[in-house]
Amino acid sequence: MEITRKNFLIGIGGMGALSLALAACGGSPDTSSSGTGKVDGTGKTLTVLFSTKSQYPEEQKAWFAKTAEDFKTLTGATLQWETFASANDEMTRIQTSVVSGTGPDVYGLGTTFTPTAYSTGAFVKMGDAEWNKVGGKDKFVPATLGISGPDANNQIGIPFVSRPFVMAYNTEMLKAAGIDKPATTWDEFSDHAKKMTKPGQYGLAIAYKDNFDPWKFIWGMSIQGGNPIIDGKKVRIDDPTVLAAYDAYFGWLTKDKAVDPASVGWGNAQALAAFAAGKAGYFPMTSPLSIPTLDKSPMKGKYQYALLPMVPPGQTARPSGGVEAASILSGDNLVVADYSPNKDLAFAFIKMITDTAAQANYYKIFGEIPTNVEAAKSLKSDPLVAPALDAASKSVATPFSGAWGDVQLALTNIAVQTIPDLSAGSVSESALSGRIKTAQSTAQAALDRAK
Amino acid sequence: MTSEIAGNTLRDEATRPAGGPPAPQNKKRKGVTERDRPLWLLAPGGLLIAVIILIPLVLALYMSLIDLDQYTLRKWLTTPFIGVENFVEALTKTDLLRSIWISVSFAVVSTIVTVPLGVAAAVVTQNPYRGRAIVRAVFLIPYVLPSFVVATVWRTMLQPDGIVNSVLHNVGIDPGLWLNGPMSYWTLILVEIWAAWPFIYLLALAGLQSVDHEVHEAAAIDGALWWRKLREVIFPYLKGPVSLAFLLGTLNHINNFTLPFVLFGAPAPADVNVLPILVYVTSFQSFRFGLSAAMAVVSLILIAIPLFIYLRAVKLDVSDDGGKK
Repeated sequence: MEITRKNFLIGIGGMGALSLALAACGGSPDTSSSGTGKVDGTGKTLTVLFSTKSQYPEEQKAWFAKTAEDFKTLTGATLQWETFASANDEMTRIQTSVVSGTGPDVYGLGTTFTPTAYSTGAFVKMGDAEWNKVGGKDKFVPATLGISGPDANNQIGIPFVSRPFVMAYNTEMLKAAGIDKPATTWDEFSDHAKKMTKPGQYGLAIAYKDNFDPWKFIWGMSIQGGNPIIDGKKVRIDDPTVLAAYDAYFGWLTKDKAVDPASVGWGNAQALAAFAAGKAGYFPMTSPLSIPTLDKSPMKGKYQYALLPMVPPGQTARPSGGVEAASILSGDNLVVADYSPNKDLAFAFIKMITDTAAQANYYKIFGEIPTNVEAAKSLKSDPLVAPALDAASKSVATPFSGAWGDVQLALTNIAVQTIPDLSAGSVSESALSGRIKTAQSTAQAALDRAK
Repeated sequence: MTSEIAGNTLRDEATRPAGGPPAPQNKKRKGVTERDRPLWLLAPGGLLIAVIILIPLVLALYMSLIDLDQYTLRKWLTTPFIGVENFVEALTKTDLLRSIWISVSFAVVSTIVTVPLGVAAAVVTQNPYRGRAIVRAVFLIPYVLPSFVVATVWRTMLQPDGIVNSVLHNVGIDPGLWLNGPMSYWTLILVEIWAAWPFIYLLALAGLQSVDHEVHEAAAIDGALWWRKLREVIFPYLKGPVSLAFLLGTLNHINNFTLPFVLFGAPAPADVNVLPILVYVTSFQSFRFGLSAAMAVVSLILIAIPLFIYLRAVKLDVSDDGGKK
């Protein structure tokens, strides 16, 4: 025992290594395709790794069971579901599977995680034959393919659902403040926020402490100003567009005083709760996934979604080179493991769950926007969801680089380290510039390593 | 057959000392006898240690010398060997040394506070009284609660608009931020103390149980009052268990990942960027497995040195026999 305790520090590295080693001992199965035409999977088992839906555990269980049943009817194969709770769990699964050559046949990946998965080289690249097996590339909303691979000929991700970001707004609060339509520029957004702020209510609900929201704001405002952050072999976090983005983002609290000061401790769920309680006019960086929460709150019938502003801070129109980006390209992709001996079965499964009826059904249960063209089209008649569909078509993929994870981390870290200043009520430009400089150098180092 | 072997064994045991080889050889013979013990019976334990400790340690050492990241993970056996580059990077380009300092100082402070608390709690529940069982059970609550739960509850309470700040506002105090900024370091210590003191309490209680009844009686007959009895009679008994608790407690604090991770999230605020979080972020958010392995190895070495000195000083690693050797 004593030695164990002495060795505790190698915990993460060591145990990781152990699992790699043990997994490596497992050997790798033969990779084979099971013929042509209709896939016969009798006696075979297809393993699929999906993220858990903590919001809808029962519904997900039922969907898993129903899908497995349908798949059995279709191919005769057994469908085995495995789940992960966080991106880190998922990465651990991918690591062990990649090294050992065994594990799930199909993975459901967050879109921004797709470049990292691609960089491991462990997933099937989609050629024409593969696309045909899942029903053709044309059946997907073109924008959703934007983060399937570095270019059209090197794609691994098959779009499954789309989760475009929009902002929710309190229709009554906007009306009371004399605002006839939601903001379309970030400056206007800030003005509206100030107008709506009065005792007991704030113009905005912002999740400053969220581990993902901050970088989405910064990236969005930057690319609208023409800076994609990763520009070829150069990271551009030290660009003036990024500083302007942080200035605007922190300024809503420090300068406009339009955000609840408690929001320096909020994650996205807490900001949503504040909006649902009718305490904020705008709740940016949400998706139609918030419909169930809002419909159960006093806000039912009093909110709408709108596109996030698409003109960068300090500007009245997008500068030349600025991109009309409503949202990061967000959602889930499906990838097939290169080591899988059941590739045809995997494609048959993906075809099944990306077909029109299945996608429409998935939207009904979970509120996730279909990537299937037909299924998405049929939602356009719903005025509540229409802005999200619009946002999906105006989503822009984050740079397809293995270094993106580090860039994202560096951008978030700036927000995390600025929270004490935010809480104190002012963010000095020198402190912010220092943090930006650090972020630039760590992100550039990560990009330099990218292969 | 069986009896014959048994007989032989017995005869061997009986005759050897009497057989009387010369003195110098006697010492050697003793060694041989020790080797003849059925040490192979330790094989299952040895195998377990190899699988759980030695192989991962060797792999971690190997990983720290190769350029293992998301790009090379798939072909990790042929990953380029880069010698000490990971170590140089860990020491010069990352927050490793700062993280080690934060981790060690936080752990030592936490232990220094929890030891008197734990010992006091053990002394308070040593003598029987009405309701003692309930007090003992209550004392164990922080220990049995999973770290995740403890951290989640504290995080909720310490939010800027949480219950702690509400109460403090009502009495006219503005405490500021608990979960970020310089105070987060003390928040981490506070929560760690809350969660960890029962561990010291348990070991101190075990130590107290080993004090002979006669010792209490003798102290009473000699007229020792409670403080003197505690200081000169009881505490010497506690030296061993409490030293052990001090050591294990400190290591547990340094090693605690869940508490800071759930309290502060990742990336962590700079003041609580403890070692496990740094290694975690390097491994699983930046995917620099080689670099994080090097960090782990450097930390292991840096912490093993004072640990070794401490172990020798308190002689926790040597039995009575071993001590005489």
